[in-house]
Formats: sequence, structure tokens, C-alpha cells
Amino acid sequence: MIQLFHVSKYYDRRPALSDVTLEIEKGEFVLLMGPSGAGKSTLLKLLIGAERPEEGQILVQGRSLSKLRASEIPVLRRKVGIVLQDFRLLPKKTVFENVSLPLLVQGAATTEIRRKVAEALRAVGLDHKKDLFPPGLSTGEQQRICIARAIVNGPIMLLADEPTGNLDPDLTSEIIELFKAINARGTTIIVATHDPNVLAQVNRRVITLAHGKVVSREQGTS
Amino acid sequence: MRRLLYLLREAVANVLTNRTTTLVAVATTAFTFACVGVFLLLYVNLKTMAASLEQDIQVMVYLQDDLTEQARNEIEQQLKSDRAIASLTFVSKERALADFQVQFPSESRLLQGLGQNPLPASFVVTLAAESRSSDAMRRWANRTQLIPGVSQVQYNQEWVEALAGIVRYIEVAAIIVGVILSAASVTIIANTIRLALYSRREEIEILGLIGASTTFIRVPYLLEGAALGLCGSALSLVILKSGFELFRHQIHSATRFLGVDALLTFFPFEMCLVLMLVGLFLGCAGSFLSLLRFGEGRA
Repeated sequence: MIQLFHVSKYYDRRPALSDVTLEIEKGEFVLLMGPSGAGKSTLLKLLIGAERPEEGQILVQGRSLSKLRASEIPVLRRKVGIVLQDFRLLPKKTVFENVSLPLLVQGAATTEIRRKVAEALRAVGLDHKKDLFPPGLSTGEQQRICIARAIVNGPIMLLADEPTGNLDPDLTSEIIELFKAINARGTTIIVATHDPNVLAQVNRRVITLAHGKVVSREQGTS
Repeated sequence: MRRLLYLLREAVANVLTNRTTTLVAVATTAFTFACVGVFLLLYVNLKTMAASLEQDIQVMVYLQDDLTEQARNEIEQQLKSDRAIASLTFVSKERALADFQVQFPSESRLLQGLGQNPLPASFVVTLAAESRSSDAMRRWANRTQLIPGVSQVQYNQEWVEALAGIVRYIEVAAIIVGVILSAASVTIIANTIRLALYSRREEIEILGLIGASTTFIRVPYLLEGAALGLCGSALSLVILKSGFELFRHQIHSATRFLGVDALLTFFPFEMCLVLMLVGLFLGCAGSFLSLLRFGEGRA
């Protein structure tokens, strides 16, 4: 589903990613491990078209991202759920409004929005908090709202950049379990992290990056 | 529908979030539009006045004294067939003398001293509307002067040309001031929108990440700019109308300008609408500029 062929990306002539080739199958759960500055976030940015590679080719569902026109990037992003370390929720909008945003930008009907938001909030166990505002929620709840927003329009893949960076070990476990449940429904999941707790709980394929290069590929047992 | 409501709500939220900046922007835009408006109002009134004067201007075609009645009739026929003439009246030598005596009774004794009537017969001509400009009038006068039997063609050439000159200057000044102040209004609105964009940049980033199109992100800010421009121009019209009425009242009170206040006119309703639309368009332009720069900054 995702293929990278000899992809390189530079910032101020310094390589953020260097000659990366990898393939991720549909429905896989992949951990991108590595220290800060290894190139994990850059790789995720390339997958949503926020950055373009200087060299190489990226294919998502057989479509080359380098050939995408600027107007096609929003269409790509509507198929991808994104979870970030700092949640990026809108503080002045209710939980319902935050989660409904991806549907709203696609022009979904009101009844469809209500149904899908309710489903997504149920999936993360927060359907009873739909009328609250994010600042009134705990960090774990905010991250779960962020996940609900990422899955509300049934994305083909979910990208998470350090999703447990602000969470304690208990909350980390909760979030990982949520990811596993979402993955079980067929959504491809790529989690970029340097948190060893995540590695310990996710016994799946691990791609390790260092200085922008793939240094190891380990296959999980489950 | 829900999407449209969302965009409108966001535009209102933008305005409410930056209330003070918005008010300052509307006030400054109104002031700059009002400055342009003063020139426009001056232009419109002078133009109206010039048109009214041109309408009142009558051209005197004086005839030679020794002209036979047949020759006079030929000249009259020739003038009547001229499409530049709307109407003409013959004034005989006797009638001219009688008019003079009525208008200048104290000087009529001077004429009596001459023994014979020195005033020439003439045609009083009112030109057709399309021939009342100073250039057209001059051309017509030169042409008529060449008709055999015509001794002189006279009209208030200096007045007409001076007024036309003033109207032209005001027109140029209004265009220059209009362009400069419109650019200022666009800049003011652009800066207000830029502030709104920076205060909501995180939200814009989120919208981009979840697949919002550029149009979806930009529309609330374009609406905000349009609303600012529209409110600014509407307020400027209120300021101008108040100033105009105050001025007219002052003129009305001053007896030496008797009757001038009746000649003064404010913009017609259609022009007010056009000015408000111009404000709306300039507001959109300001927003668009900010959005372009904001987009470049984030690329």
C-alpha cells in the first residue's frame, strides 16, 4: 500500500532522510523507531504530502505522491488519519465539533456527521464527553479525542507522530490498545516513536531509523 | 449547507476574536473612503453644475446691419437645418434696443444720444445637448462665423472653458487620490486579516492536515475582508452624507450663496451601491493579498 523507493529529503543541504526504501502492506501495524532527528517525522510528512522528496519515489495505493497537484493533496489527506503528540485540538470548539471537522471539510451531510462522530467517540470511549471543550479534558482524553478525529472518516491509514510523548505509562497502554483495535478493523497504522514502552507493547514490525537512514527492520511475532 | 454555515460562523468568530482590530480597521477604512468620497462629491457637483451652466448658455449670432429680409431668412433657414441647434429666436434691432432699455435703464440715455439704434439684429441660439461641450461650441461658433451676413458669434467661452478645466482637474485629482487611498484601504484590511490569520494559524494548520481544501480555509477570511470593506464604505457614506447636509445647511444660512444649496446634490442611490461594492471588492482584495503572503510564508 505504501512504497518508498530511494527517497531522500534535505533541509538546508543536510539529509533528513537518505536513500530510504521500504514497503508497508495494507492492514500492517508498523513502528518507526529512532532517536529525535532520525527522520521519523519527516517520513510521516512525506506520506501526507506536507513535504516533497528531493530524490526517489513515494507511492500510496499505487499513486505517486510527487505527481500530485497541490489541489490533490487535501484529497490524499482525507484518506489519512493523523495523530500528533500535542493533540492539536481546537480549544474553543466542543469535542463533537473537533471530531466532526474532517467530515465537515469533505461536505458530509449533517446526519452522516452525527452518526460517524458518535461512532468514533464510542470507539475511543468518550461519547459522553461530546459537549465538553478540550481544555476541560485530561491529556489522555485529549489524545483519545485526537484519535477519534483521525478515524472519524474511515481512513485507509493512520499516522501517529509520538502519540504517547505527553502520556504516562498507563495512558500509553490505553492508546496502544486503541491503535491495536483500530488496526484490527483493517486500518494500516504507522506509529513514529522513540518510547520504549510502546515498543514493549506492540509486538509488530519495527523499522529503525538513524540519521535519516533505515538501520534495521525487525518483524514482530504477532 | 452545514459547510456554508460553518464558514460563515468562522468569519463571524474571526471578527469577534479581533474586535478592537476590526473596529479600528473599519474606522480607518471609512475615513480613507470618506476622503476619496469628498473628491468624488466635489466632482459630481461640479459636473452637474457645469452641465446646468452649459444648458443655460445661449449663443448670440449677430447679423450685419445692411442685411435684407431675404438674406436674414436664408440665414435663419440655414441655422434651422443645423442639427447642432436645439432652438433659435430672432431678436430684431428694435427688440434688442427695447431689451437694453429694460435691463439698463440708466445707460439708455447714452444710446438716445447716438441718434440711431446701434444694436444689431441677432439670433439667440440654444445648442443641442451633444454640442454644448466647450470644444463643440468653439467648432460650431467658428463654422457659423463664416456664414455670409453673420457679423459675429458670441458666447461665454471663458466661463465654459474654465469650468470644463476645473472639472477635468478635479477628475484627475479624484482618480489619483482614489487610487492612493484605495491602496491604503487595501493595506489596512490586509493587515487586519493578517493578524486574524496569525492568531488562528494553528487552526489553519489543523484544517490543512485533515484535508481541508485551500478554498475552505480561505473563505472565512475572504468573507471577513469583504465585510470590513463593506462596513468601511457604508460608514464612509454615512460620514459623507452627514458632512454634506451640514455643509448644505451652512450654505443655506449664508445669504450671499442664495440658491446655491439647491444646486448641491449627494451621490444618487445607484452610486452609493457602487461605492459599497467597491469597498467590498477592496476588502476582498486585501484579504486575498494577506492569504497569498500567509500561504507563501507557510510553504
